[in-house]
Amino acid sequence: MTRIRALPAASAAAALALLATACGTGGGGEGQTLDVWIMEGTNPDATAYFEEVGRQFREETGVEVNVEFVPWADAHDKFTTAIAGNTMPDVAEVGTTWTLEFAEAGALLDVSDRVGDTGGYVEGLAEAGQVDGSLYGVPWYAGVRSVIYRTDVFEELDLEEPTTWAELRETAITISEERDNLTAFPVAGDAMYQMLPFVWGSGADVAEQGSDGTWTSGIDSAEAREGLTFYTDLALEDGVSSTGASTWLETDLQDNFISGDVAMMIAGSWTPAAILAADPELEGRIGAFPIPGPEGGYSPSFLGGSHLSVFNATEDPDFAWSYVELLTNDENARRWSEETTYFPGKTEQLEPYTTSDDPLVRPFAEQMAEAGRGLPASANFGKVQGDAVLQAMLQDILNEKASVEEATSRAAEEIEQTLNEGS
Amino acid sequence: MAPPVSTRPAASAAGAPAPPPGRRRRAPLLRAGTRRRALPWLLLAPALAVIAALLLFPLGRVLWLSVQDYGLDNVVSGRPDYIGLDNYAQVLGDRYLWTVALPNTVVFAAVAVAGTVVLGTLVALLLAELRPLVRTVVLGCVLVAWAMPAVSGTYVWVWIFDVDGGLVRQGLEAAGVVGPEGYNWFTDRLAFYAIAALNVIHHGFPFVAVTVLAGLLTVPRELHEAALLDGAGAWQRFWNVTVPTIRPVFAVVTILSTIWDFKVFAQVYLMPGGSGGNREVLNLGVWSYMQSFGQQSYGLGAAIAVLLTLMLLGITVAYLRALFRDEELR
Repeated sequence: MTRIRALPAASAAAALALLATACGTGGGGEGQTLDVWIMEGTNPDATAYFEEVGRQFREETGVEVNVEFVPWADAHDKFTTAIAGNTMPDVAEVGTTWTLEFAEAGALLDVSDRVGDTGGYVEGLAEAGQVDGSLYGVPWYAGVRSVIYRTDVFEELDLEEPTTWAELRETAITISEERDNLTAFPVAGDAMYQMLPFVWGSGADVAEQGSDGTWTSGIDSAEAREGLTFYTDLALEDGVSSTGASTWLETDLQDNFISGDVAMMIAGSWTPAAILAADPELEGRIGAFPIPGPEGGYSPSFLGGSHLSVFNATEDPDFAWSYVELLTNDENARRWSEETTYFPGKTEQLEPYTTSDDPLVRPFAEQMAEAGRGLPASANFGKVQGDAVLQAMLQDILNEKASVEEATSRAAEEIEQTLNEGS
Repeated sequence: MAPPVSTRPAASAAGAPAPPPGRRRRAPLLRAGTRRRALPWLLLAPALAVIAALLLFPLGRVLWLSVQDYGLDNVVSGRPDYIGLDNYAQVLGDRYLWTVALPNTVVFAAVAVAGTVVLGTLVALLLAELRPLVRTVVLGCVLVAWAMPAVSGTYVWVWIFDVDGGLVRQGLEAAGVVGPEGYNWFTDRLAFYAIAALNVIHHGFPFVAVTVLAGLLTVPRELHEAALLDGAGAWQRFWNVTVPTIRPVFAVVTILSTIWDFKVFAQVYLMPGGSGGNREVLNLGVWSYMQSFGQQSYGLGAAIAVLLTLMLLGITVAYLRALFRDEELR
């Protein structure tokens, strides 16, 4: 990547250097370019946003910012490839589940001294960016998944928002029976964050670290099996999913919802904006509710978000850090949250959302406040994700290649083996 | 996929011919014999240098990686961790290699190569019969399939076979073959690879067609006329006249197709379940990628890649030897 960009970059740098000497302007950063990777799809209008922030940064420092948008699905591979090939960006948005992994590999810069006290950040997010008391990822924004549904379908069929698993199932069955052209509640086989609430909701955990440091997986516990049986039976027994959904990715869920084929799905707090942007006809016809617990309450949902990290390979850590500060200042963070419907990573910036009246904000804020959950805090968990262990387990069950017992036993074994590697 | 190999004679590659021997001759720097031996290497040097930089260096690096325990931390720190042949032992001792990855790769490649070469040859025979204008039109249409990037092509095939509402599903449902609940063929190993084979054959046959057509046009007319006079049928003329005459052309397209079809990656990785969610459908290429970049065991991934390369070398050598033994016998 760098090699391809090298020539234009070099000529641009040369041109800028000439300009800088000719005009003799101040600022100190003329001719430099800061490479920034941002995940694609978070903000429907990301290009305009980053052009504006880039302009602010240029005025402040004179440094050009080159933002590259990376799709989430490819991002982990792209990061590891970049680390391997030494083509890392200067600053990047890093998924909170990857920060530990990249930090332990030595690819990220320790920013503890620059941040100081982390008390101002949302607790779970700041924790996810720390190894041994050093901070490698600055909490930028976070989101949580809840159920998004079609209010028009619910009204026509006189349905209420379900508050237990049994009600969720009944609701889905009713929609499935009444609406032939709709998939009531697709069970996507290649999407693990949609599955996890049913593991956590049943009281199990993916993996827990004992006092001796050994990891034990709870994915094969009786509770987890009960939750997974409920979830997969929605597809296998109740038929409220579709045949094709057993190989769907999370993006397929959203695409099919947008094309009007899906009545309910588990989707992120950031997706309503993207859904409405893709199909304005759905305006006023979608709503959200927190994922119900088995007997009431909420099922925990993955509290996911992004850190901003400075990579070790950066030529100028000061400029890189300035850019991180600029992105997370109150004004830019507020605009980012407005455009993306993600919640900001600083506690005081988050407050307005927990009291919001917006029906597409409040349920998610409730889910985040009451039932947000993190993944096992191990640098090795990235490998579990990279090896698609949970997806393979889910697909085996959905495609009836293995029973819930067989599939969960194998997954638990693989998770324990990976997490306990090298410890 | 790699661009087609130029079949043009390499005469012009040598550049300007050596200057004619002059009358006035100074004492030569090197003896004539040495010079004659050194000249070809000198002329080859630029090409060899490029190959060394682009091919041999990465190849050597992969070999070196494959004998190390190389993870993400090694990548950053640059410290090697030599473990000898452990990676190879681990790969060769893995049941997954023998029951899933290897059979998927080999059987798929065999089917895809046979399909590509047969279909390509049939199209070439058709093209050879057409008048020039029609031939150009048909050739243009055929080449569109070749010009399509593998990624776009794969998405088109996935779309055609979309489980819930694709063209194939609609057709099969209308014909009463599948019920209203449908069938997810991407989860079935055979069906998955049948779709992948369609994709790869569709993408690969134009190259075979064009190359074989070029060969067909060089077959002397008299040979066919003589065979016709002897009462040979169409099949006999093809099998006993055309095939032996353009055997090297078949050798080239078969070897190249074999190499390409053994190492398909995008066409499998981009299909539903092909990126690791469905463990039954991984081939060697995707498996190597998963080990390297998913598990960050770059050493293990490299070992798989080396084994794949060795296998391809073995097949190519065996194939070439068989071919040339035949030539000597005749």
